[in-house]
Amino acid sequence: MGLILWQVSRIGMLWLFLAVLATVLPLLMHLPVWVIAIPFFGLLWRVGIYRGLWGSPGKIVRLLLVFAAVAAVGFSFSRLYGLEPMAAMLVSAYGLKLLEIRQRRDALVVIYLGYFVAAIYALFDQSLVAGAYLLLAFCLVTASLAGIHQTEMVKGSGRPLVKALVITAQAIPLMVIFFLVMPRLGPFWSVPSPTTAVTGVKDHLSIGDIVQLGTSSKTAFRVTFEGEIPPREALYWRGLTFSAFDGKTWKPVSWGFKDGIVRWYGENPAWWRQDLQFNGTPFTYEVILEPQNGQWLFSLLGSQTVSPDTGMTRMQTPLSMYPVTRKLQYRVQTWPSAKFQAEDLTVSRKQIELALPDTVNPRTRTMAEQWVRETPDAEQLIARVLEFYGQNFAYTLQPPALGEQAIDDFLFVSRQGFCEHFASSFVFFMRAAGIPSRIVVGYQGGEIHPEEGYLTVRQYDAHAWAEVWIADRGWIRVDPTAAVAPDRIAMGIISLLTAPVVLAESTVTLDKYRDIPWLNQLRLYLDSVDYAWGRWVLGYQTLQSDFLRGLMGGMDFKRAILFVLAGSLLGLLPAMVFSLWPRGRRTINLLDRYYLAFCRKTARHGCVRATGETPRHFADRCVQLFPAQRHNIEAITAYYEQARYSGSKADPAVLKRLVRSFKP
Amino acid sequence: MSVQKFFQRRFDTWLEKRLPRVEAAILNSRSVFTFPSWGGFGFLALMVLLWLLATNYENNIIFAVGALLGAIVVVTIFHGYANLAGLSVRVKSIGAGFPGDMLKVELELSQAVTRHRDDILLSFPGGSSQQVAFQNGQQTIIATLYVPARSRGKRLLERLTVESVYPLGLIRVWTHILLQGYGVVYPRPIEGNPQSAADDGDRVEGEATLVGCEDFEGLKSYRPGESFSRIAWKQLARGQGLYSKHFSDPVADPQWLDWDHYPGLDREARLSRLCHGVLQSARSGEPFGLRLPGREFSLAVGNSHRDNLLAALALFEAREV
Repeated sequence: MGLILWQVSRIGMLWLFLAVLATVLPLLMHLPVWVIAIPFFGLLWRVGIYRGLWGSPGKIVRLLLVFAAVAAVGFSFSRLYGLEPMAAMLVSAYGLKLLEIRQRRDALVVIYLGYFVAAIYALFDQSLVAGAYLLLAFCLVTASLAGIHQTEMVKGSGRPLVKALVITAQAIPLMVIFFLVMPRLGPFWSVPSPTTAVTGVKDHLSIGDIVQLGTSSKTAFRVTFEGEIPPREALYWRGLTFSAFDGKTWKPVSWGFKDGIVRWYGENPAWWRQDLQFNGTPFTYEVILEPQNGQWLFSLLGSQTVSPDTGMTRMQTPLSMYPVTRKLQYRVQTWPSAKFQAEDLTVSRKQIELALPDTVNPRTRTMAEQWVRETPDAEQLIARVLEFYGQNFAYTLQPPALGEQAIDDFLFVSRQGFCEHFASSFVFFMRAAGIPSRIVVGYQGGEIHPEEGYLTVRQYDAHAWAEVWIADRGWIRVDPTAAVAPDRIAMGIISLLTAPVVLAESTVTLDKYRDIPWLNQLRLYLDSVDYAWGRWVLGYQTLQSDFLRGLMGGMDFKRAILFVLAGSLLGLLPAMVFSLWPRGRRTINLLDRYYLAFCRKTARHGCVRATGETPRHFADRCVQLFPAQRHNIEAITAYYEQARYSGSKADPAVLKRLVRSFKP
Repeated sequence: MSVQKFFQRRFDTWLEKRLPRVEAAILNSRSVFTFPSWGGFGFLALMVLLWLLATNYENNIIFAVGALLGAIVVVTIFHGYANLAGLSVRVKSIGAGFPGDMLKVELELSQAVTRHRDDILLSFPGGSSQQVAFQNGQQTIIATLYVPARSRGKRLLERLTVESVYPLGLIRVWTHILLQGYGVVYPRPIEGNPQSAADDGDRVEGEATLVGCEDFEGLKSYRPGESFSRIAWKQLARGQGLYSKHFSDPVADPQWLDWDHYPGLDREARLSRLCHGVLQSARSGEPFGLRLPGREFSLAVGNSHRDNLLAALALFEAREV
């Protein structure tokens, strides 16, 4: 195609500009403004060039711009490796390439980069809305691709978008097939993750942490049970245990075991068989966890995870091998009556679970030492303490401030607080009384979707409780909050909130309007859509083999090939019908039609016109066969040739009459 | 190189069988080929990159859009095919010219159904190319291309390439069609000395002198193209206007251009001289005729007469080239 210099048409440029805007704008939420400004700057300069106001940048200017962009990314992020700096670099290249579009080929580079930049956005946001937006952005980029291939003289600036929408719509069935069968191999190499601020429990606990979560109605995770959902009171979703206390903050301690800390899925170390005594039958459930800060997962006590790349710690908390920066799907088996570390704790571990900082909270220590003398049996002591909480304490999300000796202040002065206060003071009390204990942080309860039957656990379900170790029984959950505010556990924190003011972090949350039936219905519906999106789309790799096996009725090479072929054919049917079906006005040239009628007449009498035979040559042969019709044959041929090749206006009716009068 | 030539020849023979020379080529599944264009291969590379990105981040949205790009490639095969299929191409006219000229080829493209067709490129090897589009229910369009005229004779057309990467530049859809019709290439004009047949000893004596200009016949008003030596300078100096002198030539009758006036030359050389003579005589405005072995064109004037004679020279024992 060397002869035509492929200039980029105006319509192509128009759609290219729109595509650049559509692909770059959503990244504004994740990249610095100046990065997003580069493509805008490129567009502006481009318009200037087009209007003849500014010249095209020379080679040196372009080189300087590239260096400036790289330097700016380096300074701005103080690193070049990482998702954000690499995305910034890509967007810069995208913007600067706009300056040197001269031919179709340059535009093609920008457009292909556009697809990639658009896809980058999905690394930051995987919501359904983001997915829908991405589809739209892809349509616009495809429209620009159609735009640069539209002949300059063809009118209609909307035509490329229509074409792109038609092609995308026809491609979607096939896309589904490809999506289903595309191999999911798992990461080839480690990649930098987006650094996004997410809400959720943290790896330490200070007073006030949980109450912050309590104001958020964001989903923490969703659980699908295979079978009955256990009663709400039993749904203590364990995330982390905290054993070290410095007087203000609780932190996890993972050492103190001689023989390993994490049992990954598929392993079966000796300590694991010792730690967990399985009793009864387990139940299984699947968790879809939203992105969070760390590697910890959530499960009930007495569990093992049954998904690759997950494991259980010796604190009976589930763990992911990688940080959970995107939705993560995993399965858990739980034995509700299992005993955990019932036989014994190691000496060092016992020390850890009993350790207290010296000199803090002397009143609590004195009281604990006195009570343990009066009630030496651990279980009776626990019951006595819980009774003490139940009778003297109040549950509130706006507790008064505590002084330096926080637990003393809480137990003897303010006596108002929420789960963190109760758990923290309870564990301190127990340790002072010589009973190994620790804090557990996670979520409690959740909302069961009335139609879909899955459980949604939200940030305001975040909870902290206590765990004590009793010889022969192992670790036992004790929730002092339940003793103070049984409703908090039985009905959820929402039941305790009198006004929607607490859910102030987001003004659009529908959780505020649970009292309005149709809005509540809408809220539940949207939640189920989000659930399906997370389960079927975002977590498809975990379902793929089961799903395909179910769909194809087996899993072998022949079936797979057949499935892909049949599916693709079916999926392509709309495209085939739409593009190959002759549409529009059918206007066979009348002259041709009558001439062909003449040929058919001669053919019936043994004179068949050869492919490519000229009418003149054919006429000569006909005349030899039908000398009587010589005049007619000559007239038909002459008229047809005259009309067809000289371009003069001819009346097909004349030819029709001539052909009709031809009787061989 | 020879391997390449070998495959080229195999391909040409195959193409010859599959797509012989026709009066009108209708593009259909038999004649239209499809293959990813360079842009299409770039697109596939982009898909691989997206797949890598999706795999490393285990991001199913990116898997989905990668799958979408793959599906788009497949769907555009049909769109690209539909852009050419059903199109009928024939030669409307081919111009005439001298060797080295570019001959004008008018192609008529028509479709039975009025479909929007875009970004179709027509080209002849070594010739020009032309981009065409059918829009607003157009049924017929005429495309004008140019092919180089080579040596004298019937100038057959090479394979016409009809190609398109519409709609997204991912799939190249093309065909090479061989159309009937030829252009007329005149002999290359070469000035020569016509000799009477008397030189060969066949003619009557007394007419032996060469290109005689003795017998003054009269003055005629000057026509552009006539030799300066014929201008009647005296008359011009007297201010009577521009006249040219005309002589009757009894030796070699200049009004007759004769094959036999160029003895000892081969066919092409003779035709070249005759061609030059036709052009000269046509410029003079005198009636002139042409004698070729077995054919005679009687004396006449005018452009169409000249063109007829040129065509006769062009097609005389012509090879198809």
